[in-house]
Amino acid sequence: MKTLKEIFDYRQMIFSLVRKDLRGRYKGSFLGFMWTFINPLLQLIVYTVVFSLILKTDTERYYLYLFVALIPWIFFSSSLTGGASSVVAQKDLIKKIYFPRQVIPISYVTSCFVNMLLSFIVVFAVVIFSGNGINPLALLCLPVIMFAEYILALGTALIASSVTVYFRDLEHILGIISMALMYMTPIMYDKAIVPENLLPIFNLNPMTHIIECYRAVLYYRTVPELSGLLSSFVLGSVFLVAGHFLFIRLQRHFAEEL
Amino acid sequence: MENAIEVKNIKKSFKIYFDKGSQLKERLLFHKRNRYEVREVLRGISFEVKKGEALGLIGHNGCGKSTTLKLLTKIMYADSGEIIMHGRVSSLIELGAGFHPDMSGRENIYTNASIFGLKKKEIDSRLDDIINFSELNDFIDNPVRTYSSGMYMRLAFSVAINVNADILLIDEILAVGDTNFQTKCFNRLRELKSNGVTIIIVTHDSGTIEKFCDRAIWLNDGLIVKEGRSDKVIDAYMNFMNQKKIDRNPETEILQTEEKNSEKETDADEKNKSDDDIIDYSANRFGLKYIEITKAEMLDNSGKDKRIFRTGESLTIKINYHINKPLDEYVFGFGFYNLNGDCLYGNNTQIDRLKIDNINTDGTISVDIEKLPLLSGQYILNVAVVDSDGTPMDFYRNYCGFEVVSDERNMGYFSIRHNWRL
Repeated sequence: MKTLKEIFDYRQMIFSLVRKDLRGRYKGSFLGFMWTFINPLLQLIVYTVVFSLILKTDTERYYLYLFVALIPWIFFSSSLTGGASSVVAQKDLIKKIYFPRQVIPISYVTSCFVNMLLSFIVVFAVVIFSGNGINPLALLCLPVIMFAEYILALGTALIASSVTVYFRDLEHILGIISMALMYMTPIMYDKAIVPENLLPIFNLNPMTHIIECYRAVLYYRTVPELSGLLSSFVLGSVFLVAGHFLFIRLQRHFAEEL
Repeated sequence: MENAIEVKNIKKSFKIYFDKGSQLKERLLFHKRNRYEVREVLRGISFEVKKGEALGLIGHNGCGKSTTLKLLTKIMYADSGEIIMHGRVSSLIELGAGFHPDMSGRENIYTNASIFGLKKKEIDSRLDDIINFSELNDFIDNPVRTYSSGMYMRLAFSVAINVNADILLIDEILAVGDTNFQTKCFNRLRELKSNGVTIIIVTHDSGTIEKFCDRAIWLNDGLIVKEGRSDKVIDAYMNFMNQKKIDRNPETEILQTEEKNSEKETDADEKNKSDDDIIDYSANRFGLKYIEITKAEMLDNSGKDKRIFRTGESLTIKINYHINKPLDEYVFGFGFYNLNGDCLYGNNTQIDRLKIDNINTDGTISVDIEKLPLLSGQYILNVAVVDSDGTPMDFYRNYCGFEVVSDERNMGYFSIRHNWRL
C-alpha cells in the first residue's frame, strides 16, 4: 500500500517520461509527430493490398476486420517486448537515483497506450470512411476494454521488466513468444475456425478475449459479451497483482545486477 | 536535538563474479564458471545524524562510503541492519538525470525535478528560483544540446539543490562548474543547513569536509575507524593515508628511476667517449668524468634507501663516487627541484667551505638533513661533482624523483616555523 502511494506521488515523473518518450520518438525526422498517424495508415495500406489482391478472403471488409484487432495487439506486444528491456535501458538512472522503480515500466506501457489512443484516431477515420458504421452504445464499452488491456499489459510488463534484469535472454525470447502469441490470438482469423481441442488454450490467452471485444465493438457494432469482458478483466488483474508483488521482490537488487 | 538519520549496524556484501554469465546458455553450460566471491563492503556500521547537521563521510576508494550513501538513498538495500530517515530525502548523486538533449532547459527542469519526486505544482512554484540560480535566464528555452558543459552542470545542480529536501545526500559532485558557481553552491548549502536541512557529503577531498561539515566519519574496509569533529577525523585520516603511501614498498619505484637513468647514462657515455673534452650541458648527465658518481642514495634514519619521506623526517643523501683521474679539489653538491625544473634549494661543499682534496679512489660522501623542510609534493634530486673552478665532472640532473608527504596543510614548498600573535 505504501508502495502504491509512493508511485502515485511520483506521477509527475511518469508524466514527464511519457511525454519525453512520445516527443523524443520521432524527433529529428522530417514528418515528426505525424508518424504516429502515418505509421498505422501505411500498415493498413499494406494489409489491404495483400488481403484484397493476393490473399483473398471471404470476410467482408477484411482490412477493417484485421485493423481493429491489430492496433490493440501492437500496443500489447510492444508493451511486452519493449517493456521487458525498459528497466535495463534505464540502468544509469536506477544506479544513481532513488525513485520507485515501477515508474519505468508504468511510463513505458503508458506511452505505448497513448500511442494506441492516437492510432485510434486513424482507426475511427477508417471505420467511418469504410461505411461500416458505428454503434454508439457499443462504443461506450471501448474505454472499459482499453482499461482491461492496459492493466494486462502493465502486469506483463512488470513481470517481464523485472525478470529481464536477472535474465537478459528474456527480452530476445519474448520477441519470439510475442510472434507466436500473435498467431495464437484470433487477430487474422476468427475464433470460430479454431479446432475444438485447441480452444481451451485460446480461452486461457487473455488477449483472445480482449481482441474479440475490440472487434465486437468496432467491426460487428455490437456490445461485447459480458463473459468475455469479465474474463479479460480477471486475467488482467491476476497479471497485474502478480507483476506488482514480483516486481517489489525483484527490484531490491536492481542496482547491483545492472 | 532530534535525529534525522539513524543507521543501526548495517551490513552489505556484493557477489563479485569472476566471469558472470547472465545469459541462459552461459548459466547452463558453464555452470562451474559462475563462481563468485562475496565481498563484504560494509561490515556493521552504526551512526546517527542530528537534524540540521552536516556530516562528512571520508575514506579511500572502496572503503564503503559510496555504498553507505546508496543504502541511505534506497538505491540499494542493506543485507541486515536498519536505516531510519526522518523527512524527505534528496540525493545529489547524479546530476542531470534524465536530461533530454533536444528538449529546452525549461522542459528538462520539469523532467529532472520530477525524477526527484516533485509534483507539477511544486516545480511550478520553484521554477523561477531554479532558473535564477542557474543564471541561464537567456538560454532557458534553448535545447539543452546547445549548452556548454558548464551550463549543463549549472542547470542540473540548480534543480537538485532547489528540491527542498529535509535530508540532502551529496556524492563528490561539488567539483563542478567554475569557482564562482562553486562558491554559490556552497553558500546555498550553508543556507539550507541553517534552515535545518541535514546534509551528508561523501568525498575523498578532505578540504570540502573541513570547510563544510561539523562532524566526520572515516570509513575503512567497511568499518568506522573514527568519528567526531571533522578536523580531528581528517587529521587522523591524512596521517593514515600518508603512512600507507610510505609503507607501500617504494623499492620498485627506485629500480624504475635507476633503470631510466642508466639508459640516459649510456647515451651520455657515448657522447663523452666520442669527444672527451666537450661537455654537452643539455644532457641529463654530463661532465668530464674525471670523477664519477656511481650511485646516490636517499636514506632515512634507519639507513634505508627510499623515495618517499615525511616532512620533518631526517634524510641523508649519500653519494658513492669513483675517481678516474685525480684532481686538486673536488666539490660535491646536491639540489632539490620541483617538477617544473625550478631549483628550490641547492648547495655544495664549496659554498659550505669544506675543502676536499686527497680522497680514496672509491668512497662515499654524505650530507645529513636533520629535518626535511619540504612540504608534500613531488620533487627531483640533483647530485653533482665539479672541480674547484666549477667545471662539471659528473653532473647528474634528475638523478631521481622523490615524494614528500605531510600532515601539515601549509602551502608552498617549505615548512617555515612561525607563530601568530595578536
